[in-house]
Amino acid sequence: MAMIKKKATVVIIGGGILGASVAYNLARQGLKDIVLVEKSYLTSGATGRCGAGIRQQWGTEMNCILSRESVRIFETLAEELEYPYGIDYRQNGYLLLAYSPKEREQFSKNVALQNSLGIPSRQVTSAEARDIVPHLNIDGLLGGAYCHTDGHANPFHVTFAYARAAERMGVNLYSNTEVLSIEKDKGRVCRVVTSQGSIDCEIVVNTAGGHAAVIGEMVGLDLPVYPERHQIMISEPVDAFQVPMVICMSHHFYIQQTTHGSFIMGQGDPNEPKGFNINPSWQFSVELAKKITSVLPHLKSLNIIRQWAGLYDMCPDAQPILGESPEVKGFFTASGFSGHGFMIAPYTAKLMAQAILGEEPEINIDILNYHRFASGQLILEPAVV
Amino acid sequence: MFDTEMLIIGGGPAGLKAALSAAEQGADVLLVDRNPYLGGQLVKQTHMFFGSQKQYASERGVTIAEILTREVLNSDKICVLTDTTALGYFEDKSVALEIKGTFKTVYPKRVIVATGAQENTLIFPNSDLPGIYGAGAVQTLMNVHGVMPGARVAMVGAGNIGVIVSYQLLQAGVEVVAIIEAAPRIGGYHVHAAKVRRLGVPIYIAHTVVEAHGRESLEGITIACLDEKWQPVKGTEIELEIDVLCISVGLSPLTELLFQAGCKMEYVPQLGGHVPYRSENLETTVAGIYVAGDVCAVEEASAAMVAGQIAGLAAAGSLGYKQNNYEAKLKDAKNELAGLRRGPAGEKVRSGLWALTIAAGEAV
Repeated sequence: MAMIKKKATVVIIGGGILGASVAYNLARQGLKDIVLVEKSYLTSGATGRCGAGIRQQWGTEMNCILSRESVRIFETLAEELEYPYGIDYRQNGYLLLAYSPKEREQFSKNVALQNSLGIPSRQVTSAEARDIVPHLNIDGLLGGAYCHTDGHANPFHVTFAYARAAERMGVNLYSNTEVLSIEKDKGRVCRVVTSQGSIDCEIVVNTAGGHAAVIGEMVGLDLPVYPERHQIMISEPVDAFQVPMVICMSHHFYIQQTTHGSFIMGQGDPNEPKGFNINPSWQFSVELAKKITSVLPHLKSLNIIRQWAGLYDMCPDAQPILGESPEVKGFFTASGFSGHGFMIAPYTAKLMAQAILGEEPEINIDILNYHRFASGQLILEPAVV
Repeated sequence: MFDTEMLIIGGGPAGLKAALSAAEQGADVLLVDRNPYLGGQLVKQTHMFFGSQKQYASERGVTIAEILTREVLNSDKICVLTDTTALGYFEDKSVALEIKGTFKTVYPKRVIVATGAQENTLIFPNSDLPGIYGAGAVQTLMNVHGVMPGARVAMVGAGNIGVIVSYQLLQAGVEVVAIIEAAPRIGGYHVHAAKVRRLGVPIYIAHTVVEAHGRESLEGITIACLDEKWQPVKGTEIELEIDVLCISVGLSPLTELLFQAGCKMEYVPQLGGHVPYRSENLETTVAGIYVAGDVCAVEEASAAMVAGQIAGLAAAGSLGYKQNNYEAKLKDAKNELAGLRRGPAGEKVRSGLWALTIAAGEAV
């Protein structure tokens, strides 16, 4: 491996979608000497393991805005990044299913909020839901919510598109480079020590996903981000017949058909312990198969060909921590995305770059600073799988 | 969900012998194989075996498969499931099985992984044309299903499989136009190579396939001479008109389950690729998971059978089943395996093994 640079302005830690897009946005603003370090390879963490859905149907204003603006960026991202392979971006919609009056009421609030922010979602009856997904079993279904501009993109292509564009502007990406410690001088970060050597720097950006708290600890911060295993499985490919993503909050699952015909599906387990374990379990596939085939009975005859797991970087209020640490100058965090980091990364990275460069971000992101945990000003995102 | 004392994954020579050896000591065995029949690759081996008298020397592979299968089916200690694929080994020490299309999990106390190996392939322009096969696949097509693969065949690789399958193709009335070997010498046993030479098949040593040709399916290949740096020499190209190309360039152990179970693995080219660390009793670094056969070192069926005996005996013994002359049998099997690996033919395997053998009880 070539020697890594000994000096940089900014060291970004983590080679997922966030790290790559922050690197790109900083470079595009003209910042020089940017380094990104990744302990394994690009997309090896949550990004390369995620379901890669892109939805704007959120329950907090901030998540709605971050996702709405990210969708605008996704729409022309391949062109913006001059990425020749495309990012497989499709806007096939998201259908959210409501099985209880409480859920339906929450959807009604969410849709009102989303509409007030220009997101074209709407509430649907169960009959309308079946018009959108004709093979849906609507037994017990009370209705749902639908947004036709929600969609999907390929997480590998998106990350590589950002990374290649960043590299063209001079960013150094070092894979197989693990951060061992971070040194401070007079309350400011000054050096990142990695498995491949030390890098003197002025700013550190923590985009380490499920490992964000480990990185925070290196500068003495107690970030309330914790890793939680989430599992996914994928079927053999078949002819296209399900257009939108289908999400069932009360049963904690989501399922969508990919461009090549496979059905990709996952579920959150409310009893999942915190931790770095990403071994898959057979119980997951059995449980999820039962749930899915009761809601989408046509999928009964599909063969599952693979399953895997990755880490959500969970935050207690299911919203990310963004911004500079008040205690440690030059230490920025963009983590704790709680399972929706991929879809809001494009705009979040833009705001992060503005904050890192000392500019006023185009929207105020102060409410996502990690102060909120000390002062107890949490706004819980209700629409999480 | 059902219980079994010992799950053996793979019903080839190693798995069959492991099942018989464990059952003989008193263990209850569940033997699974993803094929509809037992015997593994033995069933297509119509040639006679060398090896020791104990391991059915002078018998044909297919006959050995029949003998072992019969013994296994006659044992009331062994339950056999064919058309059954082991999907994964999980943290709760369960193994997920797909049994004729249905999903089941088992909780065995011991697992013997005897999944064998798969054929390596070669990449060259148009290497995906229909008509290009692994040599083992052609052997299965002919000897198991009775299907002629084509009319004019070329074989890549002059190792044992390459020359034996070439001979069997000739016996079946297929024209073998050439055997192409990248190395400057023939790797297979002389006796096999001599047979095909006597029948007039040219063996091109230090040659490789440069390209395949054909529209809908294979119509011909270009071969060329290789220099000392294994690079094709311009001007030495030869065109061969064929409709089947067999690739016989070695095997790689089928180790996915072992990786997934967390067994410590190492890349050892002499043993065929990534292989597990194992004790003398063939236990891996994951306690309770044993290995036997090509999955732990690509060798011949005779060695696989003896390794199966060792793993079967040791796994049964670790459960307390030592009723049938256990110690002597285990010692004999270990000696016999060492014997099979003695001599120049076993040198490669011996040189690869020393680094991988862990002390018994080192499993974690």
